[in-house]
Amino acid sequence: MSDAPDTPRKTAWQLWRRNLVIWAALMALLILTLVVAYLPLGPANTAIGLAVAAAKAALVLMLFMELATSPGLVRLAAIAGLVFVTILFTLTFADVLSRYIG
Amino acid sequence: MSETSVLLKEPWESFERQKEAGKFGIWLFLSSEVLFFGALLLTYAVYRVGNVHAFAAAGRETNIWYGSLNTAILLTSSLTMAVASQAAAAKSGFRRLIIGCLVATAALGVAFLVVKGFEYREDIEKHLVPGGHFALKQPAAQLFFGLYWLVTGIHAVHLTIGIGMVARLAVLGWRRRRELDENPELEVTGLYWHLVDIVWIFLYPLIYLPGRAG
Repeated sequence: MSDAPDTPRKTAWQLWRRNLVIWAALMALLILTLVVAYLPLGPANTAIGLAVAAAKAALVLMLFMELATSPGLVRLAAIAGLVFVTILFTLTFADVLSRYIG
Repeated sequence: MSETSVLLKEPWESFERQKEAGKFGIWLFLSSEVLFFGALLLTYAVYRVGNVHAFAAAGRETNIWYGSLNTAILLTSSLTMAVASQAAAAKSGFRRLIIGCLVATAALGVAFLVVKGFEYREDIEKHLVPGGHFALKQPAAQLFFGLYWLVTGIHAVHLTIGIGMVARLAVLGWRRRRELDENPELEVTGLYWHLVDIVWIFLYPLIYLPGRAG
């Protein structure tokens, strides 16, 4: 073992630093979405709330769940769920929204 | 690589293959979970589009402090879970760091359930359970709270399973019954934990934020 005894401690700090930055971004987004919810923006409130949720989910998916550096097969498995949920929402709302028009 | 051979299981011939298969398997399961929760959120979305004002009035009745606190708790638990998982993958002998982070993750999960328990008690006292003595006049507000109890309940069940899996790894590692360094079980458990967090990330604006500005 050529590693100095203090090498793991240094890596532990690097580990914390990387993840604390992501955590701080998630917390900032939480505060942002909470504040914006109280501003009278009409339907934009819901859109912003969902956009911030999507941003938080993207941070967790890409960095905590490491999809950004995962093999293609794993990414394909992850995207499959999203693709079918998109189809589910699109087809359902194609019906629902057409009922409320006019 | 003695610990690698300890962790290698049937039917895999190489440890790398085993890790990839485990990761692929959990992602397939998580994708099915996305569809499961997606269907519930679709139900919510369809009812909300037809009952905008009732859903805003119902959303205002939820406790924003409990909801926001629980979001912060879960986001922090994802931090400790990610550190545990990455520390195990680093193969640097971070045994105490891994166990500490696993214990913190499980404890934060329990803290979430405790806060949720206080919130449920308040909801019951405010007559926010759909039925004869429901607090709000709009009939569709009962649809909101019907979905509220269903979705947060199912989420709590998922979280309870996650707490069990994380605590199991912490105990096995602590009693030296399982090598934690480089153990793929940590990553798989972590991926499940993060997905339960993501579900809550989407529930938060849908349950707690409607109608706040009105």
